[in-house]
Amino acid sequence: MAHKTPARVDLFRGTLDLLILKTLLPGPNHGHAIAKHIQRTSEDLLQVETGSLYPALYRLEAAGWVTASWEKSEKGKRARYYRITALGRKQLASEHSKWDAFARAMRLLLNPGREEA
Amino acid sequence: MTKIAWWIRRRQKESDLREELEFHLSEDADEREAGGLSREEARAAARRDLGNVTLLTEDTRALWTCTLLEQFAQDVRYALRTMARHRAVSAFAVLSLAMGIGAGTAIYGFMDAILVRQLPIVDPASLVEITWRAKHVEPRNGPTGPSEFVLRSIYGRMDNDETGAHARIFPFAAVEPLREASAPVLSSTFTYFMSRRMNVLIRGDADLADVEYVSGDFFRSLAVAPGAGRTTEPGDDRPGAHPVAVLSHGYAQRRFGTVAQAVGQRILVNNTPFTVAGVAPPEFVGVDPGVAPGVYLPLSTNPLLDSEAPARNVDPNYYWIGIMGRLRPGVTREQAQAALAPVFASWVAATASNDRERANLPQLSVDAGGRGLDTLRARYSKPLYVLLAMVGLILAIACANMANLLLARAAARRREIAVRLSIGAGRLRLIRQLLTESLVLAALSGALGILIASAGIRLLTVLLANGDSGFTLHAELNARVLALAVAVSTLCGTLFGLVPAIRSTRLTLVPALKNIDLVPRMRLQEALVVSQIALLSLLLVAAGLLARTLANLQAVPLGFNPEGVLLFQVNAPQAGYPASRAAAFYEELRRRFAEIPGVRATTLSHSSLVGAGRAHPITVDGVPAVRTRFLQTGRDFFSAMEIPILQGREIDERDRQGSLPVVVISELFARTFFANHSPLGRHIKVGGSMSLDLEVIGVAADARYGGLKGANPPVVYVPYTQIPTKQLQQMTYALRTDGDPLRHVSAVRAIVHDADARVPVTNVVTERAEVDQTMNQEMVLARLCTAFAIVALAIACVGLYGTIAYGVARRTTEIGIRIALGAQRGAVVWMVLREVCVLAAVGLAISVPIARSASTFIASFLFEITPNDPRAIAFAAATLFATAVVAGYGPAHRASRIDPTSALRNE
Repeated sequence: MAHKTPARVDLFRGTLDLLILKTLLPGPNHGHAIAKHIQRTSEDLLQVETGSLYPALYRLEAAGWVTASWEKSEKGKRARYYRITALGRKQLASEHSKWDAFARAMRLLLNPGREEA
Repeated sequence: MTKIAWWIRRRQKESDLREELEFHLSEDADEREAGGLSREEARAAARRDLGNVTLLTEDTRALWTCTLLEQFAQDVRYALRTMARHRAVSAFAVLSLAMGIGAGTAIYGFMDAILVRQLPIVDPASLVEITWRAKHVEPRNGPTGPSEFVLRSIYGRMDNDETGAHARIFPFAAVEPLREASAPVLSSTFTYFMSRRMNVLIRGDADLADVEYVSGDFFRSLAVAPGAGRTTEPGDDRPGAHPVAVLSHGYAQRRFGTVAQAVGQRILVNNTPFTVAGVAPPEFVGVDPGVAPGVYLPLSTNPLLDSEAPARNVDPNYYWIGIMGRLRPGVTREQAQAALAPVFASWVAATASNDRERANLPQLSVDAGGRGLDTLRARYSKPLYVLLAMVGLILAIACANMANLLLARAAARRREIAVRLSIGAGRLRLIRQLLTESLVLAALSGALGILIASAGIRLLTVLLANGDSGFTLHAELNARVLALAVAVSTLCGTLFGLVPAIRSTRLTLVPALKNIDLVPRMRLQEALVVSQIALLSLLLVAAGLLARTLANLQAVPLGFNPEGVLLFQVNAPQAGYPASRAAAFYEELRRRFAEIPGVRATTLSHSSLVGAGRAHPITVDGVPAVRTRFLQTGRDFFSAMEIPILQGREIDERDRQGSLPVVVISELFARTFFANHSPLGRHIKVGGSMSLDLEVIGVAADARYGGLKGANPPVVYVPYTQIPTKQLQQMTYALRTDGDPLRHVSAVRAIVHDADARVPVTNVVTERAEVDQTMNQEMVLARLCTAFAIVALAIACVGLYGTIAYGVARRTTEIGIRIALGAQRGAVVWMVLREVCVLAAVGLAISVPIARSASTFIASFLFEITPNDPRAIAFAAATLFATAVVAGYGPAHRASRIDPTSALRNE
């Protein structure tokens, strides 16, 4: 499949959950908008595959981190809106700090010396 | 949790996902169209971007698929389909297993009621009963010999056999010292005394009720709250307290209609007035599950009703009162016993009067009382164990059948299983499927078995009670019993399912796929059939022995004619009749009964012949006539009962109060005590409370006295009109009638009611039924065991048939070749039958030694037959071979009809 984006970054396992929860933090949204939001915010570096997005959404729902309900979209169509739960917020916070630690560790290992500056 | 909730709504979830993807697609297409693509191009691009929808759906669906659950549901459906295809075989297997489980559950229900169930009172575990044990007590050597035991008089029951003496009754004088000593270990003690039945007159209607005397704190210590009014209180024990009675719930309902109506009513107990203080709650039926008293009276009222009570109260060698108590929290029975035993030991030592008594003093023991007193356990536990063992055999036979059925079915599916294994089915998955099948069979059997059990409990209650209205053994299907049924079914399902499942999935694929049989013989099936036959022959031997026992009992010569005789009891003195007028009252009743149309003869005696058991010290010329039994007899007794008079005459209207005291003796008595001389005109003396000097006027042929088992005793028949009037108590009338004796019951009741309404007619029974009642246990055992044997025979027969038929089907080719090579049809039949007979012979050979040793287990139920009776074993063997031939003949005949050409073409 040809993509217009110059360089694509593959998502690590588990990061998609984190991104979805982060996206839902400001307010409820449907699957398509979530995908678009991630893509846009990452400046098209991250492309969310539909084939991973929907199983992930259902998995988050099963875990109780998000709830889903059918509502009217801005264009008046029926869409499944996902809303983050209190449990989801807690999960997001813990995943967030884990990811920060991981990112810092990666930076330290890949660019030694720079961090001290 | 979510998973199962989603699994239930899985259709909803699938459609959610579909709609959501549709929305995604249209949003994406709209966006692309806005970017400048044509509508079609936009849609195509969006769809391309969506990727593999099937894979996506599949990935998401994993969230709500319960693979195990779905596979289980599949397996169950598959099992049910298989069963539907082999309807007859499956139905039979289920039915046979259900019978085993049902019968087992029903019998366990009774054992639960006797051996496990606790009294329906608060905290039964803390309840204890005080008992004592001693070494075996030798019978006293004649009235003049030294006393052997401190218990010299008894009212109640003492077990005395080789293992020792044991009882739960004490002298009244021992209660107080024990109560004092028990204060640190028992929070309360209370006493009870089971009396004979008493005449209870309520609103002009009389009947007999079981009466229990209880101490004032009896109900309070048991923590039984009144169902209405109040229960007995310690104040009721005070001398001079107003006599009150507490009725059982059932009795109050029966006599007053409602419980509330009973409270405050005046009733007459043995013609003594009592006021009903209250009624016990419905669930409380006393401390002995074997007796259900209708009336509870305070112990202090005992002297009002029983002239012997004052003497009994002070006699330290008269044992009659029962003691129970409640343990204080944290105190064990052992600690309570350690506290009480020494107190009783020193008390009882002081009551001994000679060294023989001192050498064998009773020792106190504190036993668990929560299950109530064990009179029922003593009576029914052994026959129930025997029945349970028999049911166990049936269950084993049914299980073997089930395993055989599944083995054959699995063998028929070898090819299918091989195909599934070769295309990658997991072996565990296949075993699981086969096991599910057997569990479904077992579950169905279990469910059906529980239905059979509930019917079985009702049937068994009727059989065991056999018309006894006081039957108190109430079995029920409670949680424990049901749990057992479920456990047994599950166990059976797993056991007989696992082996075939494992075997059939362990096969060499290629030959199985090519449908070539590599298993030449069916060792496991044959082993199962042999064990079935062995188990069956055990049951047949037991059935044979018990049936012979019953036949022997029925063949015991009674010496009188029991057909067409109506028996019933009347007790005039108990209803308040003065002793001096009772004899005249009894004769007047007899005269009026004789006038009932259809009554050919009437007579009376203090007890019916088979129910009698009275002894007085009797001497002939100063020599004690040991073992002799006594019967108070009315006129015409021998002609009415059809007992032949061998010498002299029978007792008739001439033998009245004041005329020469006479006696008729039994032939055995004459032979034993008068040897070769004619007894007519000789005298015998009756001592003790009777003190009579009687002249022998006749010798009657021997008639059965007491039960049917054991040696018949010598008997003396004494006119009730000539004994001291104080000795006259209840009378049993015998009416010889044409046709059904029970037709005349209402006429009898009307006559007695008319003569005196205070006197109830009780224990109405036909002589035939009473005779049968004495062999009830043997009858029930023989009937049930025969029924069990027939069921087992049917089950084993089908099992045998199935195995042989399957074996013949497998050997079709071989038999075809034999026939093609010239084997005679008859030889083929014989070949198959020979195998059947070999199986039967092996089974029999295994079982005979087992039967010989196991049958001693039922020796105590046998009568005039030894446990090793060769006829019983021969009978079992003959039945077995007949069964084997019947089961094997069908397949053998079919084998001989095999057409060689078609059999060989199959190859």
